[in-house]
Amino acid sequence: MVYLVDILLIGIGAALINNFVLYYFVGICPFIGVSRRIDTAFGMGCAVIFVITIAATISWAITTFILMPGAPLTTWAAGLFVSKEAAARIDLTVLSYIVYIFAISSSVQFVEMYVRKFFPPLYKALGVFLPLITTNCAILFACLVIMSKIVGVDNPQDAWDLGRALTLAVGGGIGFTIAIVIMAGIREELDLCDVPKPFQGAAITLIVAGILALGFMGFTGVDTGLRNALMPEQTIASAPAVSPEEMK
Amino acid sequence: MSDQPTAAERFIQGILPENPVYRQLLGLCPTLAVTNGMQAAITMSGAVLFVLFCANVIVSLIRNLLKPHLRIVIFTLTIATFVTIADRFLAAYVYQMSKVLGPYIPLIIVNCLIICRCEVCSSKQNVVAAGADAIGQSIGFALALSSIAAVREILGTGHFFGIRVLPEVWPDWVVMVLPPGAFLTFGLLLGLLNWYGTFRAEKAERG
Amino acid sequence: MKPIQPMEPMPPSMMARLKDNKIIQAWLVLILAICFGSSLAGIQLTLGPRIEENKINETREKVPELILGAARAQQLAETEKALEIQPTSVAVTKNGRQTAYSVLEARDPEKGRLGWVVKAGGQGYADKIELLLGLDPSAEEISGIFVLEQKETPGLGNKITEEDWRGQFIGKDTDRPLEVVKDRVDEENEISAITGATISSRAVATIVNTAVADLKGKLAAQ
Repeated sequence: MVYLVDILLIGIGAALINNFVLYYFVGICPFIGVSRRIDTAFGMGCAVIFVITIAATISWAITTFILMPGAPLTTWAAGLFVSKEAAARIDLTVLSYIVYIFAISSSVQFVEMYVRKFFPPLYKALGVFLPLITTNCAILFACLVIMSKIVGVDNPQDAWDLGRALTLAVGGGIGFTIAIVIMAGIREELDLCDVPKPFQGAAITLIVAGILALGFMGFTGVDTGLRNALMPEQTIASAPAVSPEEMK
Repeated sequence: MSDQPTAAERFIQGILPENPVYRQLLGLCPTLAVTNGMQAAITMSGAVLFVLFCANVIVSLIRNLLKPHLRIVIFTLTIATFVTIADRFLAAYVYQMSKVLGPYIPLIIVNCLIICRCEVCSSKQNVVAAGADAIGQSIGFALALSSIAAVREILGTGHFFGIRVLPEVWPDWVVMVLPPGAFLTFGLLLGLLNWYGTFRAEKAERG
Repeated sequence: MKPIQPMEPMPPSMMARLKDNKIIQAWLVLILAICFGSSLAGIQLTLGPRIEENKINETREKVPELILGAARAQQLAETEKALEIQPTSVAVTKNGRQTAYSVLEARDPEKGRLGWVVKAGGQGYADKIELLLGLDPSAEEISGIFVLEQKETPGLGNKITEEDWRGQFIGKDTDRPLEVVKDRVDEENEISAITGATISSRAVATIVNTAVADLKGKLAAQ
């Protein structure tokens, strides 16, 4: 039950409260570049969700099993050459950024092949945008957050498992899709408005994004409220009733 | 190749005419994310300068060995290595600032600006031109980030570089240091610069 | 008119050169990878320990202030004496889950144990709040708190980092859970909330209460 609530809150957090585009500022380039029409925006969003899921799985697996200090595969492989204790201390996280970016490039290649084979019209519509997903900050950002939750925790038991990592990735992708589709809807209307010449294009998109971000700020605190509602016994510290004499 | 811009031209172009943020609209993620305060903006610009310069120089040195189908891989590998080095240096020597910048330093890897410069300039020109291009673009990047950071920090907290510049009675426009403020500031400044560019072009035409 | 010649097969030397290029390409990537890999390994070996030290010092340098109070910590720094700080980990089973608290024990070389500093965290208004909680040796009194990480609203919730507000926690007894009130503080175990940031204030109090409830028995028994 605790696990399910945790997953739910991570998902809602990534999608709405800490929206990747409107709070963390990742994925801005496609957000401004691809958001002119709703169908391309939605297609882009779906492609991003697909890629981010695959990339997050690969990076979670590599981090947990190879890169982090004390990872099983590294410890076993190094244990063949050096002592077990020294092997357990090997820390390969300095290679993480390189590994992640190559995992992302491979995921994008894979998704491109898949889309070209099974969804040709979508492939034609997205055109050059698919390879551009490699430089979409949102995907690398998801991998980095997952890394910080595995490597950066004090307690090894608190390290994120695959379920939480995937929820963050999918939630982030869904949040990106929501933001980009809303922006596309607004821009379709903006095309009919009389925008002053200096502001046409990127500038007005950014100002609209600012107002959208203001709106999304209204979601702050939703996860705390949900947590308190779903798991009330966790929030009030019930100090065990111990009398002062017993303490001495 | 005489039709390529010279080193000096690359340098000057990078600062204002081909400013990476305001004209090319590249590298927008850090532009919005780290411009909360001047210190963070300057640190980020320094990191980008280091990565861009090293990547440009290395790519320029091996430019004759590059072939189309593997060049993106090599660019990515080079950039990722230098970003890791920059990230470790920041964590070792300015730990608090590296915590503030957080995940945005590794995001330099997917910063379109650097890959674009490698593609457009350093894979085609010699080391000097590539280096000058890197420095010019980084100065332009720093100017862009500082302009936004200055507005956000002064209006949002009344401080500039941590020093109070507005009187105590100033009600801090907290929205400026929050995400919406980033979008609004950048959008307005971009519109302003576009207007100024058209204004000058029209003046030159008439005058 | 010259008879049409059939196209000559590609001269073998060019084919060999093309293949060579592909091999050169792969070799190039490999050599670059090895160079970069070794430079990264070098960076890790030289800077890694420094980064670790930074992480540990982040909490350690707060310990004197939390245990002794700001004034006496300043005196200690001036005399260049240092407290012995021993990191431990206290395991706690809650709701069927095993977690461990990271605890620092502060000892004076002559006087013995001076107190505990516990690293605790929990959900705030916007995101997680992480703080350090200072307790006396028997975990009966709070000697101070310090907020390590928070992402509360600037100007409102992030006032939990201010010394004045945090000073309310100094000297509070741990026999009753702390309560956050909006008006006047009447009781011993009450903390005054930050105006406009009740949820953030309550979050901090909850984190403190939870940590105390989990650890009081175990720390006193040590």
